[in-house]
Parts: sequence; C-alpha cells; structure tokens
Amino acid sequence: MSNGKTAKDVMIGIFEYPHVPYWFSIGQAIRIVKVSFISAKKYPDPMAILVFDEKYNLMGTLSLKDILKGLEPRFMKPTTKAQVPEEDESGLALIWDTLFTKGTKELAEKPVSEIMTPAKKFVEPGDPITKAAYLMLHNDLVLVPVLEDKKKFVGLVRMIEVFDSISDAVLKE
Amino acid sequence: MELINREDHQKLYLQLYDILKKKIESGEWALNSQIPTEEDLCSMFSISRATVRTAVLELVRHGYLKRQQGKGTFICKNVVSEGLSMLTSFRESLFEEGLNFSTSLLARTVMMPVDDLDARLDIPPDKHIIYIKRLRLTGSEPVLLQESYVPYHICPLLLEDDIENISLLELFEKKYGIRITRVRNHIDIAYLSADEGRILRLPENSAAILLTQYFYSGETLFMYTRSVKRPDRFQISIELERKAN
Repeated sequence: MSNGKTAKDVMIGIFEYPHVPYWFSIGQAIRIVKVSFISAKKYPDPMAILVFDEKYNLMGTLSLKDILKGLEPRFMKPTTKAQVPEEDESGLALIWDTLFTKGTKELAEKPVSEIMTPAKKFVEPGDPITKAAYLMLHNDLVLVPVLEDKKKFVGLVRMIEVFDSISDAVLKE
Repeated sequence: MELINREDHQKLYLQLYDILKKKIESGEWALNSQIPTEEDLCSMFSISRATVRTAVLELVRHGYLKRQQGKGTFICKNVVSEGLSMLTSFRESLFEEGLNFSTSLLARTVMMPVDDLDARLDIPPDKHIIYIKRLRLTGSEPVLLQESYVPYHICPLLLEDDIENISLLELFEKKYGIRITRVRNHIDIAYLSADEGRILRLPENSAAILLTQYFYSGETLFMYTRSVKRPDRFQISIELERKAN
C-alpha cells in the first residue's frame, strides 16, 4: 500500500518547525507562533512547535489547539468524559468568551510542558510509512517524529506526505 | 533638544541612535531609568515607529538598553571607556583566571530567540539559536552560572561537542576556525531568580555579580553569554592597556 516507501523517503527536516525548550512559557510560545508563522505568512500544515528537554531530546509537540486549550479557564474544562453534556454547547461557548481574558495572562505563564502533546510514538527511518499512518490515526497525532536508533531525532513525518504516498498507491492499484 | 535632521544623508535610525546614546552617556537619562515609550519617541522626534524600534534595538544590542517584557525599556549603561583594550588573552570568562573549575552541563538545546535575544545576537527573530547552560564549581561549591547563546547557523556541531571539558572559546578557535577578534563585557549587579538561587544555593533575590559578554569574529557577533556569579567567592581581575595611537 505504501509503494515500499519508508519514513526516510517522506520525512521533512526538523528545522521546518520552531524548537523550544520545555520551560518556555505559553506566552513565549505564542510570540514564537506570531513571529514564525503569522508575521512570516508561513502556514505549514500542521502548524506546530517542537518541544525539547535540556539534553535536546524531543519531548512533544505543541499545536495551536494545545496552546488555546492551555489558555482555557480551568473550571470550564470537563473533569471526566462522563460529565460532558451531550446537548448543544453553544451556550457554554458564549460563557467561555466572556471569561477568556480573565486570568488568561496568568495561564500564559505556565510552561509549555504542561500543555504539549507528549511525543511517545515515533518511527525509525526504515519503517514503512503505513506505520506512521497507523500511529497518526490511532493516537490522534499531527506529526510523527523519526528517531534513529530510538534516540537521535532526524526528521518528521506529516499527514500530508503519508496521505500523498498512500493515495498514490490507491490510485495506481 | 537635539533633533533629527532630514537633510542629513545619515539614516534616520542612526541619527536617533546617536541622539539617544548621548542622552545615556551624558547621564541625562539616568542608569536604570525607563526610557520614553515608542509612541512618545515617535512624537518627540516626528519619526515612524519602525525607525524608533530599529534605533532602540540597536541600543539594546550595544548594551545601552535592556528590554523587560511587559515593563518597558531601561537604561543599563552610562559609562564608556574608550581607548582601552584588553591586554590579556581571551578567556571563557573574566572570572576564571587562576581558578580550577569543574563544569557541569545543565542544559544544551536548540530554541527560538525570546525576549530580546534576537536583538542581542543581531539575528532575525525566526532563526534558531543554541542555548547552553553550565554551572562552574570549585569542589562541590557552585560559583558561576553561565548561559551562552550561539546562532545555530554559526556552529550547528556545537550540539555534539564535549563542552564540559573543553571551553567554548577553544572549540570556536581551534576546531571551527572562528577567530575571536573582540569581546564586549558589561558588569552589573543582578538579583537572582528562584531558579538561579536554587542552583547557586542562595536565596531568591540575593544580589549577585552579572557579567554579559558579546563575542565577535570580525563584524559577526557569534555568541552572547550571561554569567551570574556568587558575590562572596572571588575577585574579578581585568587588565587593560591603552591602544597605540
């Protein structure tokens, strides 16, 4: 299905995305999004920041959604899935709007490590891209890191490259 | 008040840079005082915000001003010593002469420039930098906390070097052929953050000696270093000689 393509064939360079250490605040990450994407008019898909530890190991990714969720007023967050009402939530969205600025600056002081999506799933350069596709679909990931020997971070596989390769195979077959 | 001369061929931001620099050096703008806002400077000199911003960034880069996120821009230097140059050879830090340090590497990672790091390193705000945080110890006593920032494109291999045992300057000069031609040093008093206090084993907000250094190779600024030193351990020695005229 993947035309024999491996992660190495479709991965992109790690510097396609901004890098930040885990102790950066949400506010600092927001400024980086502004500079790297919005002001520069560069809109990669997905739009994300890579989060590293002090030994330059990839810890996670930070999407725009992660950032906005990190700024959400605490008490608006459901504690468990069972407590989320099934009905229309547009009323809640209105309250969310009125409360959004209250305490937001304080929340923006939190480190990005608290709101990032941890990088627990990865592929090796020689792995078929179908493995990356599987990890993306079953773990709701926007990017899959490519690690050499389970340690050295050498690239990223995105949904668009995975889709492109698999769809080529589908059309050909 | 000195004003911008629009008939002068010199760029407007450079004229403003000179005017503001004089205010700082003459003491008209006192050390640690806040400078007028960008808006105020625009109306004072009838120039655009972009011109003001460029001049202010240039003053930040040269160590005359420091920007504090959410607070404003402050004077951090008003003393200039012209005509004196460092006599001794370049060292990792002014604090290290004659001392036997061991080094512990606390962090080495790649990041984007935040706060005023882009201005300090004279790089665009969307370029990556290498961040290195090291602790110098004598025996088991922490003495000096040093953070170094190097534009990533200058020396990407620095991420793999043994920087606990080999000095950064030695690596730059001997391994990468980056010859150090100039170092600008600024010495100040700093008050330790909670994290710095924890590492140096001092209470938060304790006074410490702050050394900021800008390392140049020709016209290229290739490293900015911020070192915080316990005030109770060692003296600082600087030897200068007058330049030949």
